[in-house]
Amino acid sequence: MRVSARKSAVVGAAALALALSACGGDDGGDDGGGEASGGGGAITIRGCNPENPLIPGMTNETCGGDVLDQLFSRLVRYDSETAEPHNEIAESIESEDNINWTITVADGWTFHNGEPITAQSFVDAWNWNAYGPNGALNAYFFEPIEGYTEAQGEYDESGAYVEGSATAETMSGLEVVDESTFTVKLTEPSSSFPLRLGYTAFAPLPPSFFEDPEAFGEEPIGSGPFQFESWERNVEIKLSAYEDYQGETKPQIDEATFKIYENDDAAYNELQADQLDIVPQLPTSAVAGEAYKNDLGDRFIERETGVIQTMTFAPENVDPSLANPKLRQAISLAVDREAIVDNIFSGTREPATGWVAPVVEGFQPGACDGFCEYDPDRAKQLLDEAGGYSGTLTISYNGDADHKGWVDATCNSIQNALEIECQGKSEVDFATFRTKINNREMPGIFRTGWQMDYPSVENFLVPLYATNASANDGLYSNPEFDKAVAEAATLQGEEAIAKYNEAEAMLAADMPAVPLWYGKTIAGYSTNVDNVKITPFQTVDLLSVTTAG
Amino acid sequence: MTSGLNEPNLPDGRSGAQTLPDEPGPDVEAPETPERADSGEDKAHSLAGDALRDLLRSPVFLISAVIISVLIVMAVFPSLFTNKDPHFCDLQFSRQGPSGSAWFGYDLQGCDVYARTIYGARASILVGVCTTIFITIVGSLIGMIAGYHGGWIDSLLSRFTDIFFGIPLLLGGIIVLATFPSDVGTPAWQTIGKVVLALGVLGWTSVCRIMRSTVIQVKHADYVQAAKALGGGTRRILLRHVLPNAMAPAIVYATIILGVFIGVEATLSFLGIGLQEPVISWGIAISDAQTYIRQSPHMLLFPGAFLSVTVLAFIMLGDAVRDAFDPKLR
Repeated sequence: MRVSARKSAVVGAAALALALSACGGDDGGDDGGGEASGGGGAITIRGCNPENPLIPGMTNETCGGDVLDQLFSRLVRYDSETAEPHNEIAESIESEDNINWTITVADGWTFHNGEPITAQSFVDAWNWNAYGPNGALNAYFFEPIEGYTEAQGEYDESGAYVEGSATAETMSGLEVVDESTFTVKLTEPSSSFPLRLGYTAFAPLPPSFFEDPEAFGEEPIGSGPFQFESWERNVEIKLSAYEDYQGETKPQIDEATFKIYENDDAAYNELQADQLDIVPQLPTSAVAGEAYKNDLGDRFIERETGVIQTMTFAPENVDPSLANPKLRQAISLAVDREAIVDNIFSGTREPATGWVAPVVEGFQPGACDGFCEYDPDRAKQLLDEAGGYSGTLTISYNGDADHKGWVDATCNSIQNALEIECQGKSEVDFATFRTKINNREMPGIFRTGWQMDYPSVENFLVPLYATNASANDGLYSNPEFDKAVAEAATLQGEEAIAKYNEAEAMLAADMPAVPLWYGKTIAGYSTNVDNVKITPFQTVDLLSVTTAG
Repeated sequence: MTSGLNEPNLPDGRSGAQTLPDEPGPDVEAPETPERADSGEDKAHSLAGDALRDLLRSPVFLISAVIISVLIVMAVFPSLFTNKDPHFCDLQFSRQGPSGSAWFGYDLQGCDVYARTIYGARASILVGVCTTIFITIVGSLIGMIAGYHGGWIDSLLSRFTDIFFGIPLLLGGIIVLATFPSDVGTPAWQTIGKVVLALGVLGWTSVCRIMRSTVIQVKHADYVQAAKALGGGTRRILLRHVLPNAMAPAIVYATIILGVFIGVEATLSFLGIGLQEPVISWGIAISDAQTYIRQSPHMLLFPGAFLSVTVLAFIMLGDAVRDAFDPKLR
C-alpha cells in the first residue's frame, strides 16, 4: 500500500535513485563504467522525503516505498511490464487447499551484510509486523494469516494500540519447517495469497533488525538488487548495486540516488539541464502544450499506471461537518473531472468512475453509480437535502509535488457548482502531510492517491476502505463492505472479482473518498541514461536502466 | 534617572540664561513666537512651501503622482475598473490569451487576469502603506528620543537599532513568516498584518538613524535652546520644535522605501510565505504563472508589469521629493 505523493502517483516520488550523479556535481553518466555488473555508472532519480524510517512494515507511502522496493527482495517480484508475479526469493509457493501454503526459499540469497536469507527471516519479519505493540502501519496485510488477531490485539477509536490486548507474540499460522521451508496457514481459503507476497511488507528481515529496529530504519540492511549507502535528510538517499544479488536480472548500474526535491518543477528544470536523470512523472507545466516534447525530444515514456487519485473526507470524529453522505456525493458531483483533466493535466489523466484503477483484472467502469459525473444541478439538490454547508471547505495537499493546480481547479469547480467557499491548503511536504493524516489531525478534505502494491482489485479496496485497514485515512467502517471483501477473499477467479465489484459499488452510497482520475504518467529522462522503463506501479525499473554511452 | 540626565544639560541652560537678561523683550513675547513660526507660511517661504512649489514643476513628480493616484483609487475601489468577480474562475477558459472579453487573458484556473490584477493592487499597496506608516512612527520615535537625549539613552537605543539593522530585511521576513505561517483559515487582515509586522519589525532602523542624526543637528538650533530656556517641557519641545524641522529626510526615505516594501511583499508572496490565498496578490499570481511562462506568458507579464510600475512610481516619487527638500540642490 502505498499512499501516493505525487500527483497521481507517486512513483515518482521516490524515485530511484541512483546515482551519484548529481550531487557531487559530476554527472552520473560520466562515470559510467563501473564494474559491478553490466555497464555500470550512476544515475539520479527524483525522490521525496520518506515519512517513516525505512522499515518495510512501517512504510505505507511511496516516498519511502519506492526506495524500499529497491532495497528489499520479496518472495515474489512483479514483472516491470505486465505486473505479473513471478518467484524471486521463493523457490516455490504451493497449496492444495488454498489455506495451507508451503513456501520454499531458494538457496544462495543473502542480506546485504552477508547473512543468509532463510525461512526464519520471513517468519520473524512477518510476526514482528503483525505484533500489535510494534505498531507497524502495514500490519493489516497479515490479517489473512491464522493467529493475526491474537498477535495484533485491539485498537481504540483513534487508531492507537490498546495496551496489553495482544495475547500472542507470534502468529500461530506461521511455522518454520526447516532452514528453507515454512508453512503458512490462512484463516480462510485465498487463491490470491501468493500475489500479495511481492509487497514490501512481506520482505524478510535480518536478525540485526530485531535488536534495534530504530537504528535499522536509519540504515536498513536489505535483500534486494540495491543496498543502502546513505540517507541525507531532505537531500538524497543513495543506493548502490548489491553484487551478490541472486535475481535473474542484475542491475546494470552501480549507483542510484534518489534526489529529494521541494517541487516537481525544480526537478524538471534539473532534468532539462541533465543534472537529474529520471523524473517518473513530469509536472503539469511541462505537459501543458506538450512542452516536454520540445524540451526532451524523444526522451520520454508514456504509460498507464495502477494509480488512482482521490480526495478523502476527514473521519467523522475529526470533522463532523462532512459526515453526511449526501453532502459527500454533492461534492463529488460538483467536480468537473473532464475539464480539470483537459485543462490542468492536458489530457494526461483519465477521469475516474470508480475506486479501482483500470490496469487490474476485474476493473468495472461506472462503480461510482453516477456520482462521479459532473452534474451541478443534482449536486446543488443533494447539498440542499444535506442541509447545506457553512464555513470554508478545505482541500489539503502536500506542497512538494505538483498538486496546487488541480486542487485549486477542483475547489473552483465545487465553489461554482455548490456556491460554498472552498480553498486549497498546502502542507509543506509529503511526510508532514501524511503525519497529520495518520495522527487524525487533518480536517476537511485531503488528497489521497493510491499506487497499487500488487496487481489486484483487492488492493484498491481492502487496505483503503476496510475497517481499521492501514490506509483507511477516513476511518471508514461499513460492516457490509467488510463482509463482502472477506467473502471475496475466499472465492476464486471471476467469483472473487464479482464480489469485490459488489463491495466497490457499496462505496458510492457512503462516499468515503471521491474518485478523481486514474493514473497515466509521462516520465522523462536525461541524455545520461537509456532503457528507462516505468512499471505499472509508476516506479522506475532500476534493473533495466543503463547509462548512455 | 531623568534628573541625572538633565543635570549635564543644566549648565548649558544656565549659560544660556546668562544671555537672557540681555533680551528681556523677546522673552516676554515668546509665547507667541512659536505660533508665528508655525503659521508664518504666508510671509517667509518655509522649506515645505518651497518644496511643494518645486514639486509641482517637476515632471517626474507629476507622472509618479498620477500613477500612484490611479493605483490608490484601484486599491480602494477596484470595482470602478472592472465589474468581474476576481474569485470567479471557469476552467473552460484556462490559459486563454488576451481578448475582447478578457483584456489580459485568463490564468491557469480560468480566472480573469485583468480583474485579479486590479484587485491585487489592494493587498500590495496596503502592505506598502501600512509598513511605511509603522516604520516611520516607530523609527522616528526611537530616533528622536535617542538623538535628543543623547548620553546613555542614545547609546542604548543606537545599539538596539544596530541589532535589527544587522538582519537583512528579506531574510528576516522569511524567518518571521515561516515561523508564524498563515493558512487558509487565517482572515485576510491577519495575513496582511503578519506581513506588515514582519517587514516593519526589521525595516524601521534606517528611519531611526536618519531621525537621530537630524534631531542631533536640530537640537542645537537657537529656537530649540530658546524654548528650553523658557522652560518648555521635553514633549512640547520635541513635538513643536524638533519634529517639524527634522521630519523631512525621514519622509523622503519613507516614500522611497514604500516602493521597496511592495517589492519585498511580492517576493515573499512569490516564495509562498507572504500573502496567502484567498488574498489576491501580484506576487502569488507571478509565482503561479512562472512555470507556464513558455506556453502562456500573459499570465506572468500583466501582474509583473503592474508590480514594476507601482514600485517604480513610488521610488520616482521619493526621488522627486528628496530633490525638492534638499537645500543643497536649491
